[in-house]
Amino acid sequence: MPNNLLRNTLLIAKREYLERIRSRVFRITTLLVPIGMVGMAFLGAMSGRKLEGVQNLAILSNDAALAQQVKAALDDGAMPPKLVEVYAPSTDADLAQVKEQVGSHQVGGYLMLNTTPGVAEPDATWISGSSINLVGKSQMESAVRSALIREQLAAKGVPESQVSGLMREVKLETKQLKGSAVVASDSERSFLGAYGLIIVLYASVLIYGINIARSVVEEKTSRIFEVLLSTVSSDSLMLGKLLGVGAVGLTQMGIWGALLVFYAGSQFAATQGIHGLGSLGITKAELGFFAIFFLGGFYLYSALAAALGSSVSGEQEVQQFSFILISPLVASVVLLPYVLGNPNSTGAVVLSLLPPFTPIIMYMRICAQMPPWWQVWLSVVLLAASVAAMVWLSARIYRIGVLMYGKRATLPEMIRWLRYS
Amino acid sequence: MLAVISFQLPFADTLRSTLTRMEILAELDHVSKSYEEKAAVHDLSLKIEAGSMFGLLGPNGAGKTSTIRMMIGITLPDAGKVSLFGKPFSNETLRRVGYLPEERGLYKKMKVIDQLVFLAELRGLGALEAKRRAKLWCEKLQIADSIDKRTEELSKGMQQKIQFISTLLHDPELIIMDEPFSGLDPVNAVLLQDTLLELKKHGNAVLFSTHRMDQVEKLCDSICLIDKGKAVLAGGMREIKSRYERNHVIVQFEGSDAFLKHAAIAEYKAYAGHAEIKLKPHADAQDLLRTAAATATITKFELVEPSLEEIFIETVGGRADA
Repeated sequence: MPNNLLRNTLLIAKREYLERIRSRVFRITTLLVPIGMVGMAFLGAMSGRKLEGVQNLAILSNDAALAQQVKAALDDGAMPPKLVEVYAPSTDADLAQVKEQVGSHQVGGYLMLNTTPGVAEPDATWISGSSINLVGKSQMESAVRSALIREQLAAKGVPESQVSGLMREVKLETKQLKGSAVVASDSERSFLGAYGLIIVLYASVLIYGINIARSVVEEKTSRIFEVLLSTVSSDSLMLGKLLGVGAVGLTQMGIWGALLVFYAGSQFAATQGIHGLGSLGITKAELGFFAIFFLGGFYLYSALAAALGSSVSGEQEVQQFSFILISPLVASVVLLPYVLGNPNSTGAVVLSLLPPFTPIIMYMRICAQMPPWWQVWLSVVLLAASVAAMVWLSARIYRIGVLMYGKRATLPEMIRWLRYS
Repeated sequence: MLAVISFQLPFADTLRSTLTRMEILAELDHVSKSYEEKAAVHDLSLKIEAGSMFGLLGPNGAGKTSTIRMMIGITLPDAGKVSLFGKPFSNETLRRVGYLPEERGLYKKMKVIDQLVFLAELRGLGALEAKRRAKLWCEKLQIADSIDKRTEELSKGMQQKIQFISTLLHDPELIIMDEPFSGLDPVNAVLLQDTLLELKKHGNAVLFSTHRMDQVEKLCDSICLIDKGKAVLAGGMREIKSRYERNHVIVQFEGSDAFLKHAAIAEYKAYAGHAEIKLKPHADAQDLLRTAAATATITKFELVEPSLEEIFIETVGGRADA
């Protein structure tokens, strides 16, 4: 009775949807994720602004000229310190005094710079008050390097006015050819979309996939499925569950998506150099593919979770097996750098066509460089087919789960069951 | 104490006219089922008529649940045939069946009313009608206060009532209940028993399983007693009881108990002024009465039918001894 099948599927979907939308978990995650995201963006902006070099430092050297050059290079650098004190030539008393100042946090650290006659490279050591300061290290390195170059250029007779010109930094602008249009390309932002999908898919699978597995296990352990199966086919049950929980996922995505559009157009985002979605490096086509691959991935992993839930006997086992569920996602993340580096290599093509990897890998390929259309559609078709196969299989496992109660179903029994429903 | 339950069934307006008494609603025809070599049900046949109450009786592990599961298509028989409403079993007919499994299960987080409406909708009822009936039933079974609570907030007995209601909301012609009264307090057990009797009068067929003889004795028109998967005793309750002799006598007397030495007595238990006697097969109880009256004043002399329990022990125990 296909009418009943449809009606029951929708009834089950409705129940799953309403129960979840009303749940506290839904409200909390819907609110917390955007708050977390905005919080992270805010923190990122804060820490970016706070990225500064060493404020106060001392240079102790036996070579006064070089020490002055280094000081000049530091003052000219991207992050000029507030105060650089030069002790050249330095004495042991100077060293003791500077050490004391480091100890009392008056200076951030001191640079020991000693040249030996006949040796081109000076002996340079940066002693810092804090354990690891990568910014400080690179700051000192570039200052010493540029001082040495300046010194050598001066030694070769290059006039001071030309030295500055030679030492000027070059800014490289990057752009990307998308279709026929040359667009601004910022590698970080162009992958923002792909990483966004990974985070969203990962979170949804973890939240809703495990949720489906739980709800299946709940029905099994509470034995309510005995009542359900005496009225409804297991296909209706599984399909309804998937549709219902999927609709919850979509609702949440919709809310988040709306918030993102709102955020991207807001004043706050403008302060971070974001003006509308386009400036995030996301095109409309990419947004469409995002939806397709999110849904495909979501349904595939949810169906897998349902099968998982159907084949275990308790909630604890769901926890134990959840890593199996997310392992292809983890593998996709691990494989990302490879796919990014070689988006059209055989390996990347094959991976992007394997359904468990398709959502992330194919989407990444699309973001990096549009693959041939046949590959994109083939991957979508394979993904859809595997979702259908997974639903079918989990419905059987669920059905046989009743028979396994107290005993294991024999193969002929299972085959007879397939004919029955 | 419970008020006499004289309610209208919530769906009396939908009185089925198609059903006539004696119509067979469910039939098992030489059904067998084994699990891993162990026979759970062996060559079992039974028929359930419309407007009757059928008791599936047996000790724990006798095969009651296995039998019921085959009736509603949760498992398939290895051999034999299951028919519902005169046709071979099919999932389509399940909407006309109400099934209460032995292990109760409800959605814990769901509100009672939502749960009832959902389960009724799955059986083809419209949402509004389902809600109307659910409310009526909850009032009838005295749990109207809990209608907006989540299932997990309710006591086990209340949950059982809700599941009982969910079995009946769609007005199934055939009601199959696995141990419906287990775990209920006596007051609620009677409430549910009376409800089932009401449904029976209304023309529904009720089959329930139990290991408690007293329930079957009070409620059922027909029984099937199974032990180790086999029917050891089946038929109408009256007919079965009449098959067994009234060979128990309860006597209350004043005076000498010398009559207890009468040749018709197989065994007896004597108390002060009271004796419970088992007669020898085909013994003449009237002769015993005359003898007793000769030496003592008889205030009560009652020939008692054997209880189903005794029949059960006699049948199953006897078989086990053989």
